[in-house]
Amino acid sequence: MVLRQKNKTASVIVIVLMLLGGFLAGGCAEPETEQLESVTLLLDWTPNTNFSGIYSAMERGYYQEEGLEVELVQAPGSVIQMVGANRAAFGFSFQEEVTFARLAEIPVVSIAAVIQHNSSGFISLKERDIETPINFEGKSYGGWGSPVEEATIRALMENYGADFSRVEMVTTGEADQLISIEREADFAWIFYGWTGIEAELKGMDVNFIELRSEDPALDYYTPVIISSETMVDTNPDLVRRFMRATAKGYHFAITNPEEAARILLEAVPELNPDLVIASQLWLADRYQAEAETWGLQKLETWENYGKWLFEQGLIEEMPELEKAFTNAFLD
Amino acid sequence: MAGIKKLRNIAPALILVVLVIGSWELISIYTGIPAYILPAPSAIVRALVNNFGLLLYHSGYTFAAVLPGLGLAIIISPLLALLMDRFTFLKKALYPLLVVSQAVPIFAVAPLILIWFGVGLLPKMLIVTLVCFFPLTINLVEGFSQVDPEAIELMQTMRANRLLIARSVHLPYTLPYFFSGLKIAATYSVLGAIIGEWLAAKAGLGIFMLRAMHSFRTADLFAAIIVVVFLSLALFKLVELAGRLAMPWQRVEIEHPER
Repeated sequence: MVLRQKNKTASVIVIVLMLLGGFLAGGCAEPETEQLESVTLLLDWTPNTNFSGIYSAMERGYYQEEGLEVELVQAPGSVIQMVGANRAAFGFSFQEEVTFARLAEIPVVSIAAVIQHNSSGFISLKERDIETPINFEGKSYGGWGSPVEEATIRALMENYGADFSRVEMVTTGEADQLISIEREADFAWIFYGWTGIEAELKGMDVNFIELRSEDPALDYYTPVIISSETMVDTNPDLVRRFMRATAKGYHFAITNPEEAARILLEAVPELNPDLVIASQLWLADRYQAEAETWGLQKLETWENYGKWLFEQGLIEEMPELEKAFTNAFLD
Repeated sequence: MAGIKKLRNIAPALILVVLVIGSWELISIYTGIPAYILPAPSAIVRALVNNFGLLLYHSGYTFAAVLPGLGLAIIISPLLALLMDRFTFLKKALYPLLVVSQAVPIFAVAPLILIWFGVGLLPKMLIVTLVCFFPLTINLVEGFSQVDPEAIELMQTMRANRLLIARSVHLPYTLPYFFSGLKIAATYSVLGAIIGEWLAAKAGLGIFMLRAMHSFRTADLFAAIIVVVFLSLALFKLVELAGRLAMPWQRVEIEHPER
């Protein structure tokens, strides 16, 4: 009995020592990583090829070179508030959201345009005969039911003198858009670089009406990388280091799309490899397009869309757009 | 004998499941429904096998929120229920608030939850606690109110101290309520963590589901659902087992229900 008790005590001691050892080992290993500053980057959607530059920069050690350790958190629907409240240093957003946020006095700043041009538009099955916005008449649109969607469709139709009241608006929300355009609705608003490519891979016969070729004002930036005014003002060095590595990552993805796709797939194995590779190849020369360097934003683009939102009555005043974005962190 | 009886008890459910899955498989083979609309059961099994390591990895993150969240609820609920039982004004004040706490749509306040508690484990854990402590507390309050006052009086006349009364009257009266509340809580807990992960997370079954959905991989999504169901069931069974161990007097009834 006594012996058993001793054994028990001994094993407890051994376990405690092992735990302590583990802590100590962890403690000893720390100094190496200590120099790396940890920053959080919020993703506004499931990882996809829009984020490839980030994954490339992480995998290839670009952030490490800048003394940074980037933690990615998927936070759909909360990025603006979290970055605005300085709970995360950086995040993915889009021009419209930043514009609305600034009007609501959430101090976020766009620090890079991830893709130079808006690649979104309206997709429909070829058999529904929707070739221009005039054909929206008598058809149904499946989306999230937001005022901006309504205004966009209305404005596109008005350019053709078509009657918006003849479009049926259906809320399909998070439902797979490629399925909903076969059933609940005739057309949906998608990003070509992901959902459009998926339609191609599925061999669907579709029409696509690109937003920016219909109305230059709608060639807004989506997505953009944002930070907060506080970060930009009080810690510009960190922002610069983060952006230097990020830009390097995107430049890598531009020149090595296949490798960038492989890196993304390795980090996020849940994704469909065919889709990621095809999408990456499609996006490669669109990240930077004709801009001097990756990430540059033009005041004109911010103003055009801002004015458009104002004309559509979606915003009651024009925000100070010079403060909504900055190119200061791009070399 | 007992084995055969057990088999007879679960047989109807088993036959139904086999029938449903079998006809589902046949329907997907013969009607050619695209896999992204409804994947065949065989495709789901394949997705389950192919993603096993990944699902395990994400389950780890989910459980890291579920267990402490549920644990916190198990600590808070009895305390709260005890206070509510002792002080009627507290019961009157808190009961409606408890109901309100369940009516708040978590998605709507997501940005606030994240701003208050960050994007780490904490908000997920708290959401689990939020969904778990309700059925537990409500059941416990009910349980405490069922305690036979005469039994307490009897104990008091026998000069039993508070602790003894609590152990030999309150505990046996309320334990069944505690465990039936805990069963509900356990089944909700995994779902709570997944909701939390949908708000913001770097990994977890909720994240796996979002990624499968956005990659148009419906079979993977179903595979994750199976894992969630399995984990919830496992927790449920665990609670049931704990209940049987904690309440040996109930076991007699369960094993001989005919009497």
